[in-house]
Amino acid sequence: MLLVPLPFLSQGTYIDENALQPGAVNTYWSWGDVHRADRYLEGLEALRDNNASSNERADFISKEFKRLGLDASTQRYHYAAATGAIDGVNAYAVLSSPRSSGSEAMVISASWLSRTGEGDGTLNLRGVSTVLSLAAFLKKYSLWAKDIVFVIGDGYLDGMHAWLSAYHGAPSSVLEADSLELPSGVIWTALNIDYPGHSFSHLGIFFEGVNGRLPNQDLLNSFQHISRYTGGVPVLVYDHLDPRDYPGREVEMSNIPSWLPDFVKNMEDVQEYSYAAKNVLRHVGYQARGMPSGVHGLFHQFRIDAITIFAVPAPGPHGFHAIGRVVESTLRTMNNLLERLHASFFFYLLKGPTTFMKIGTYLPSAVLISVALLFGGLGEWVNAGWVARPAFPSDEKSKDILAGPTQLPLKSRWTRRSRPVLPVLSIICFTHATGLLLFFLLTKSWVLDHLPVMSPILFLLVSLLAPAAFFSLPSQTLPPSQPFSTILKSFTLCLASTVISIISVLNFSLAATLAVLLGVPLSMVAPSPRVFGRIGNYIGYITLGFGWLFFIPQVQKAVWAWEVLGIWFAPFVCLVYAPLVMQAAIVCLFTS
Amino acid sequence: MRVPLTLPALVVVRLLLALSPLPALLKWDHQLSSPLTSFVKLQEGVHLYKNGIDPYQGGSFYHSPIYLSLFSTILPTSPLPSLVLWTAVDALAAYALLCIWRARVGEKGRSREGLVVAAYLLNPYLFLSNLALSTASIENMLMLWVLAFASSHNPSPSLLTLSLLTTLSLPSILLLPPLIMLLLSSPLSKLKNPVWKDIRRALPLLAEFIVYEVALCLVCTLGSGGWQWVGRCWGVGLTLPDLTPNPGLWWYFFTEMFDHFRPFFLMVFSVHLVIYVIPICLKFQHDPLYASFLLLGILGIFKPYPTLADPGLFLSFGVVFCEVWAYLRHPFPTFLLHLHSSLLLPLFHHLWLGDGTGNANFFYASTLVFGLAGAGGLIDAVWAGLRCGVGDVNGKVREGMGVGREGREMGEVGGGREGEMEVDWEVIQE
Repeated sequence: MLLVPLPFLSQGTYIDENALQPGAVNTYWSWGDVHRADRYLEGLEALRDNNASSNERADFISKEFKRLGLDASTQRYHYAAATGAIDGVNAYAVLSSPRSSGSEAMVISASWLSRTGEGDGTLNLRGVSTVLSLAAFLKKYSLWAKDIVFVIGDGYLDGMHAWLSAYHGAPSSVLEADSLELPSGVIWTALNIDYPGHSFSHLGIFFEGVNGRLPNQDLLNSFQHISRYTGGVPVLVYDHLDPRDYPGREVEMSNIPSWLPDFVKNMEDVQEYSYAAKNVLRHVGYQARGMPSGVHGLFHQFRIDAITIFAVPAPGPHGFHAIGRVVESTLRTMNNLLERLHASFFFYLLKGPTTFMKIGTYLPSAVLISVALLFGGLGEWVNAGWVARPAFPSDEKSKDILAGPTQLPLKSRWTRRSRPVLPVLSIICFTHATGLLLFFLLTKSWVLDHLPVMSPILFLLVSLLAPAAFFSLPSQTLPPSQPFSTILKSFTLCLASTVISIISVLNFSLAATLAVLLGVPLSMVAPSPRVFGRIGNYIGYITLGFGWLFFIPQVQKAVWAWEVLGIWFAPFVCLVYAPLVMQAAIVCLFTS
Repeated sequence: MRVPLTLPALVVVRLLLALSPLPALLKWDHQLSSPLTSFVKLQEGVHLYKNGIDPYQGGSFYHSPIYLSLFSTILPTSPLPSLVLWTAVDALAAYALLCIWRARVGEKGRSREGLVVAAYLLNPYLFLSNLALSTASIENMLMLWVLAFASSHNPSPSLLTLSLLTTLSLPSILLLPPLIMLLLSSPLSKLKNPVWKDIRRALPLLAEFIVYEVALCLVCTLGSGGWQWVGRCWGVGLTLPDLTPNPGLWWYFFTEMFDHFRPFFLMVFSVHLVIYVIPICLKFQHDPLYASFLLLGILGIFKPYPTLADPGLFLSFGVVFCEVWAYLRHPFPTFLLHLHSSLLLPLFHHLWLGDGTGNANFFYASTLVFGLAGAGGLIDAVWAGLRCGVGDVNGKVREGMGVGREGREMGEVGGGREGEMEVDWEVIQE
């Protein structure tokens, strides 16, 4: 896995879909449009200074859309989740395609809050004014073959999620949203504009979606190509500046450990590695949790390829002029599509703006660990079936055997023993039921509201439940000892292997994280003859499995993400990861 | 009618599951119901039929006229009563399996009857198909009753049920040879001490089956008002007009096929299904119940339009042959293959048709893994069945699952063979 960021394992990006033709058009976005964007910005800043409510903001925006002659409307929504209620109002407008029946659509969106700090309150005023002035600008041209839908989502993720759910008729138990008045076609692609600063130096691409789904790489590559050659703006992955672009400041900007000698720090390959590693780690951080890295991520669950264009805040040199041209040209490219994006990669690791790894290259790193676990499990299974017993020459049967060609040189011989499968399976079911119970409790508001108190209680509860399962096992004392622990370990390893290899196709980052967290601990688990050893191991494994209960803000956020956005991370941890480690903890309790 | 307590208990659990939101989610699933067994398609056909339109004239209805007449008259097509009906079907099937178990094992197996019932009612392949209201559940139930009647030497009900089943799903006719052998002999294994029967006694049985079959065909024709059902209902398995993805091995092959090769490969695939019947019936002529079991496994892998219910029937039927288990060589890898493939199938299906990030090759790859899992189980069952008939070197017979014996000495019995992995599904420790 440490090899993943190595330069020789990556390849250059390229555009696979011939219809896209990125950067092949003249752009018409001019300084007049920039001026218009500035006017909109003034209006939005006035709203901000007056502490305008969601309603007033949406009214203002939809009024501006209507003034341009577009069909515009607002949508109010309300989330009643256990993690707290959220209200807001979205504004949106539809520019009907002058060239077709409007059965397909593209979306340009901006959320009121920027993605900076995952929606920590930084406003995305310039993003919103870009969308407004783009609406005015794009309306002037008759070359659109698809409807263009402009959406200004309230809040950060919540507003856009409400709008998309209503658009696709995906009901949710916690969401009450107005139905949309203005219909449009099937959305194929979407661009989300995030421009929090005053001006920007680079445009960053954010692409991870809900539950780790990625957009087609053609979209990213086209945008990258257009931004570089039409807009003249360099592109970054996320907001990570490449230290090598700043001669003289490489070492200070990179994340290479400072204790390394200078000649190592200045090596080209080391810098490349550290930059790629930083990007990959950021990617894993989003994808493993299933959290979208921006508003665009919500589109992915409806099979819409979308990215966020993030204007990396800097003193200069770019502003509305550059971003307007880039978005215009990208829209023209998206407009060229004849079918959904399908040609390029859906599974990739982006190591830099122009280098990536495809699935065949990175998948083995997780699958190898999974295969190792599988063989470990099969080995344990065989161990469970055989036991070395001293051979008694007086025993008639042994005599037969010893006389035969399969004679063993040693005085012990291997005999079969029965494998009690059903009790072990019931332990496994029990641990998963515990996970289910834990998850059920965590989604209740009376637990969530008092999480600082409830976390230790829940932790204590699960750590007591595991020994309960252990002591309910039958015939612990009867000789010959039943190989319960070996069989349990074998099943746990095989289950973990299955989970890792299956998840790796869906969400590589999650699989890689699981491989790291489960690989060595599960393989090393063994019963200890000493009491203290047993208890120590047990506590260690339970902490590994359930220690996350003490990270209170993260738990709340994960539960919120599950309830509101339908992100599988929280149930996955409760129902799959924690029970597997709990099984390992139970193995520790055995004496042999 | 003495039944273990597990049967009613599990039926209640199943009814509760049927009331959950699960059935609505599973109704459209391609792995649980094919165009031939889909409840939605059946509803559509019944609707057309009730409105005076011949459903066989369109291109989407492939169910048998028997279903059509039953569901348009006495049986319900609304969801809730159907769910109750389907649960009853599974309960009947579990009872049939129990009858076969009693005929095969006798009084010795008394203590395990609950497990036999549970093996049917808790098999995820079977109960998910059942919740999806796939008509494969009904066909499985009939198949088990065919064998249950035959095991208790009731030739006429058995042959009648098989002819009914054949009108519902054509590949079932492959079970006719082992069934007739079963009716001539007994459900017990005679592999070790073969007794030959007079083959001429099979002719009246065959004639009886043909009479039933002809009568049912006439009923079908009268019911649907024409012969079109033959091409639609029986022909669909031979001509494969509908290439909706399913967990079988046919659909992908024929999506890729050039049209002028199609008839040839359709013939090859159909004949391929038939060629197994004679070898298996010859090899297991002294254990016809086991031969039927193996043929069910083959149907589960190779038949056109299989769903998860078909391999599910094979796996659940396997519990009847407890004496064979000790000879299985690789049950654990087979189990792992099934685990992998049953997780991969829905996942790749979703990646292809839901998320849009995958394509048909993904799902096809997972059906190959599934086919491998099925074949692993089948090959193991063939070898274990033969091996069991031969017995061990020292003449002793290993016994699995401790029927009529203590499980504790398992290790010592026939423990002298090195390098052979014996697996003992020793479940209950007395």
